[in-house]
Amino acid sequence: MKLSDIDVAVIGSGPAGMAAAIRAREEGAEHVLILERQEQLGGLLHQCVHNGFGLFYFEQDLTGPEYSHRFVEKVKDLGIQVLLETMVTQISSDRQITAVNNREGVLRLKPKSIVLAMGCRERSRGQLNVPGTRPAGIFTAGTAQRFVNVEGWIPGKKVVILGSGDIGMIMASRLTLEGVEVKAVVEILPYIGGLTRNEVQCLHDFHIPLLLEHTVTEIHGPQRLEAVTMAKVNKDKKPTNGTERRIECDTLLLSVGLIPENELSRMAGVALDPLTGGPVVDQWRETNVSGIFAGGNVVHVHDLVDDVSWEAEIAGASAARFARKEEMGKDKKILKPGRNIRYIVPQTISAQHDVTLYARVKDIEENVTLKVGDIFSESLRVVKPGEMLKIDLSRSQLRQLKDDAVELSIESVRRRQNG
Amino acid sequence: MAQMETEILIIGGGVLGAAVARELSRYKGDVLLVEKEVDFGWGSTKTNMCIVCQGGDTLEFRPEYHRSKLVWDSIPLMEPLCQELDVPFKKVGELALIRNNEELSKFQKLKSRAEKLGLTGHQFIDQDSLRQMEPNITQEAIGALYDPNIAIVDPVRLTIGLIESASQNGVEVMRETEVLRISRQANQFQVETNRGSVKCRFIVNAAGISVDKIARLVNSDDFVLYPIRGYVGILDKNLGGLIKHEIHMRPDAPGQMNILTPSVHGNLFFGTTMQPALRGDCSATARIAEIGLQNVRKILPDLSEKEIIHSFAGFLMFRNWEIGWHECVVQASQKVPRFISICIGYPGVSAAPAASREVTELLRREGLRLEKNERFVSIRKAPPVFNELPEEQQKELVARDSRYGHVVCRCETVTEGEIVEAIRHGATTLDGIKFRTRAGMGRCQGGFCTPRVVKILARELGLSEEKITKKGRESRLLLYKSKELLEAQL
Amino acid sequence: MAEENIVCIGCPLGCRTTLRIDRHGDVVKITGYKCKEGRQYVLEEYRNPVRILTATIRTERSLRPLLPVRTNRPILKSKLKEATLTLVRVKAEPPIKVGQVILPNLLNSGVDVVATDDLFE
Repeated sequence: MKLSDIDVAVIGSGPAGMAAAIRAREEGAEHVLILERQEQLGGLLHQCVHNGFGLFYFEQDLTGPEYSHRFVEKVKDLGIQVLLETMVTQISSDRQITAVNNREGVLRLKPKSIVLAMGCRERSRGQLNVPGTRPAGIFTAGTAQRFVNVEGWIPGKKVVILGSGDIGMIMASRLTLEGVEVKAVVEILPYIGGLTRNEVQCLHDFHIPLLLEHTVTEIHGPQRLEAVTMAKVNKDKKPTNGTERRIECDTLLLSVGLIPENELSRMAGVALDPLTGGPVVDQWRETNVSGIFAGGNVVHVHDLVDDVSWEAEIAGASAARFARKEEMGKDKKILKPGRNIRYIVPQTISAQHDVTLYARVKDIEENVTLKVGDIFSESLRVVKPGEMLKIDLSRSQLRQLKDDAVELSIESVRRRQNG
Repeated sequence: MAQMETEILIIGGGVLGAAVARELSRYKGDVLLVEKEVDFGWGSTKTNMCIVCQGGDTLEFRPEYHRSKLVWDSIPLMEPLCQELDVPFKKVGELALIRNNEELSKFQKLKSRAEKLGLTGHQFIDQDSLRQMEPNITQEAIGALYDPNIAIVDPVRLTIGLIESASQNGVEVMRETEVLRISRQANQFQVETNRGSVKCRFIVNAAGISVDKIARLVNSDDFVLYPIRGYVGILDKNLGGLIKHEIHMRPDAPGQMNILTPSVHGNLFFGTTMQPALRGDCSATARIAEIGLQNVRKILPDLSEKEIIHSFAGFLMFRNWEIGWHECVVQASQKVPRFISICIGYPGVSAAPAASREVTELLRREGLRLEKNERFVSIRKAPPVFNELPEEQQKELVARDSRYGHVVCRCETVTEGEIVEAIRHGATTLDGIKFRTRAGMGRCQGGFCTPRVVKILARELGLSEEKITKKGRESRLLLYKSKELLEAQL
Repeated sequence: MAEENIVCIGCPLGCRTTLRIDRHGDVVKITGYKCKEGRQYVLEEYRNPVRILTATIRTERSLRPLLPVRTNRPILKSKLKEATLTLVRVKAEPPIKVGQVILPNLLNSGVDVVATDDLFE
C-alpha cells in the first residue's frame, strides 16, 4: 500500500469528504487518499435513514444511506485510496499528517495538499448548563439517532426534545415510528431552528406538541432521568417565574446546535472565523495555511447535504490544482456581514470569477431586500436563521466592485418605504 | 450470603479510605476495604478543584487547626506518592490576586505567619511581573502573593492508584458493598453489608458523606458534620493555555471561593460555590451556576458561557460550618474502642498522605500490632495512556495489541485498548470508563464515543448492552430494544 | 363547514393556510397562501396526503442489527402507522443490495419497500 506521493489527502469521508476526493480525482489528481476514522465510508449518512437528501444534487429524494452509496460507488470506480478506522491525530502547518490505526500503528504522511472535511459535532448538555442532576437518559439527538437507527436500541419511552433543530425534529418522528411517546419539542426561540418541511412532516404529522418560547430549566432524577421542568421564556430568553411545569419523562434529547469540528485545523495553524466556528476560506476554499483546504460542515453548518457536497467539491478541485502547482486567482475582496447577516462564506473572494456566496441571517424578517454592495439586490419574502441563503454572482457583476471590502446586508423593504 | 473475616475494615473507597488502605498495606495483617459505589472516588473525592500542597494559600489554614497540620505535613509527601503510583502531579504554583490595599495587608499577615511555620517560598509579585506571568487575566489586580509549591493532581486517578497499590500489596477490596449495621461483640465488630457480613477487630470509618451515619451505627458520633454542596465548572481545553498557574481571588461572599486552575489534563476548572444543602442532592442550581460564572469572570473578564463544557456539584462534609471555617475529624472514638473516623471535607485530597499515617498511628494506639510487610512494593504502574506516549511506544503498543490503534474517543484520543484495560482494572460503567480513561470528558462530552464505549463494555463484560449503566444501580442507558415498543402494540 | 389548517412547505415562508371544507368534503375556500404553487401544494396535500416511509427492519445479525429501508414511492399518510407495524414482522436476510425489494406491494398499495443500504453478512 503506497502512502507516499499523495496529491490530495482528504480527512473525513462523509458527504463532504467523498465529494472532495471524487472531484479532486476528476480534476486530474493522481493519488487521492481518504482518511476515515469509522469502519466504513459515508460518515453520519448511515445513521440518517430518513429521506430528503439529494433533492438538488441528484434531483431525487434519497435517504442518507442511498446518498452515501452513490458517492461510495464513485470512490471505488475512480480508484481513490481509502484508509478506514484511521484517526488523524495531528496536522502540522507544513501539511504533515499523523494518524493512528490498528494496522500500521502510527502513520506519518506528507501529502501535497489537504482537504479538511471533518464535519461538525453537537452541542452538549454541559455547554447548555441546564441546572439539576446528572442522570442517565440525556443524549444529544445525533447520539440517540445512532442508537436507534444503527445499534438497535431505544433509549426510553417518554421523551422530551430540547431544541427544534433538524436533527431533533427528525428524531421526534423516528422515535414515534418506533412506538415512543414524544411528549414535546421545546424551543427557546419564537420559531423553529430547522426547516419548515421538518416541522410539518416530523411534528405535525405525528401530532407532537411544539412549544415555542419555552426551555427546560431543570433536570430531575438521581440515577435515570425522571422528569424535566419546563418554563416559558421572555424576550430575553430568560425563564418567566410562575410558568414552570414538570413533565415526567425518561429521556431528554438535545438538539441545540452544531459546531464545526476544528481541533485539527487549529493544530495546523488554520485561522478560524468566530462567526462560523470554521476556517476562514477564500472562494477556492483555501484556508490561510497554504495547501490546506476545507469544505462542508467543517467550514459552516449547512442545512442541505447537497450544498455540503457542492462546497466540498470546490475544495477538492482546488486541492488538486494546488497539488500540481497551478495558480488560482488570489486578489482578495473581503466580504463583510452587514445588517442582519450573521456570517458569510467564503470570507474572501477573488472577484475575477463566478462565485456562490452562502450566508445566514441573525433574525427572522419578512419582506426584505438582500443586497451585495451595489452589484446585487434580490427581494425575498422571508429570511430565517435556519434556512441558509445562496447567492450566485457572476464575474461581470463582480467586476463592478471598486473597494476591497463589500458588504452583504438585509434591508427591510417596509423601512425603506417609510424612510 | 458471604461470611468474611478480617482484621481491619475500611469503610469507604474515596481518597482517604484508599490512602489508609495503602498505608496499612505496608504492614502485615488482613485489611478489607468496602466501597458503596461501583467505582472509587465518586463521592467527595471528585468534588474537587484538584489542588494539592496548599499550606499558606488561605488565611483559614491556622496552626491551631488539626487539618492545617495534616495539609502541611502532606506537602513533602504528595509528589513522591504520585510518582510511586504513576499518577499525574504537576507543580503549577499559585497566584493569590491582590485587588486593593486591604487585601495586601491580609496577605502580608498570611505570608509572615506561613514563614513562622517554616513554609517558605511565598513571594509578593508586583503588577508588572504579574502581567508578565499571566497576561490573560484581569488587569484589576495590583499584584499577587505567589506560592510556588501548589500543585495539581487528578483526584480520582490518585484514588484508583492508591487502591491498586493497596490491592497489589494484599488489601482486599469490594465494590458495590454498603455497610448496613454494625454490632459490637467482645473484642470485635460484626458488620452487616448488602453483600454479606464481616467480622473485624478494627474499623476505619472513611465514608465521606456518610461518615456521621456510619459512626451512629455504633453510637459513636462524637462530632457533627454538615453536608456542604460545592459546584465546579470545567472549561474547554482550547482555553487551557490561557493561564499557567492556579489563580485565586479572595471570596467576595461567604462560601464563594473563586479559583481558576489548570487541570492535569489541559482543561481549566473554576469554582467553587459552596452552600449547605440536602445531603445527596447533587443538583446544580441556576443561581449557583450564575454565581460561579460571575466569579470566574472576575479573573477572566471575557469568558464566554459557551466555553463551559461541563459542570457538576457534589458534597463535602464540614465540621463546625456555622462558626466560619471548619475543623476536620481524624480521631479514635471516645466511646467505642478500635473505631477510627476520618473526614476532612476540604482539603481532603491534599491532606490524605499525612492523614493516612495519622490513622495508622491511631490504630496502633488502639492496639494494632504493626509488623512490616517485607513484600511491600511501593511502585504501582498505571495503565498506558496512548496519547501521552512517544510515537515509538505507541507503535509498540499497537503491534502488541491492535486495539490500541483503534481510537474510540476522538476528543481525548482514547483508544479501545485503554478502554479494555480499564475494564480489566474494574470499570463496569460508562462513568467508570470516563474517570479512568477520559473517554467522554472532552468537548463533545461523550456524544460520539458513548455508543462505542457501551458496545465495548457489553462485549468485555459479557452483558447485553441494555444492562450497561452510566454510574451503576438504576442508571441504565438503553431501556428498550429496537421494535420492542411496537411489538407491544401489535 | 369544517376547517383544516395546512402549512405549505414549498418555500421557507411556510405559509399557514386554512381550508374551508363543505359537507361533501370539497374545498370551498383557501386562505393564507401567498403564491399559486403554494395553493396547489396545499390542495394536493388536503386531497391526497402522501409520504415516503423510511424505517429500519431487524436483521438478526449482531454486527448489523438493523437494515434501513424505504417505500420506493409515497404512500397514504393515513397508512404510515399500519405500514410501520407491518414492517416489525419483516426480517432482512443477507446478502442484500441497495434498492433490493424487501417487501413487495406494501398493504396492497402497489408500493414496494426497498433496502437503502447493503447488507453483506
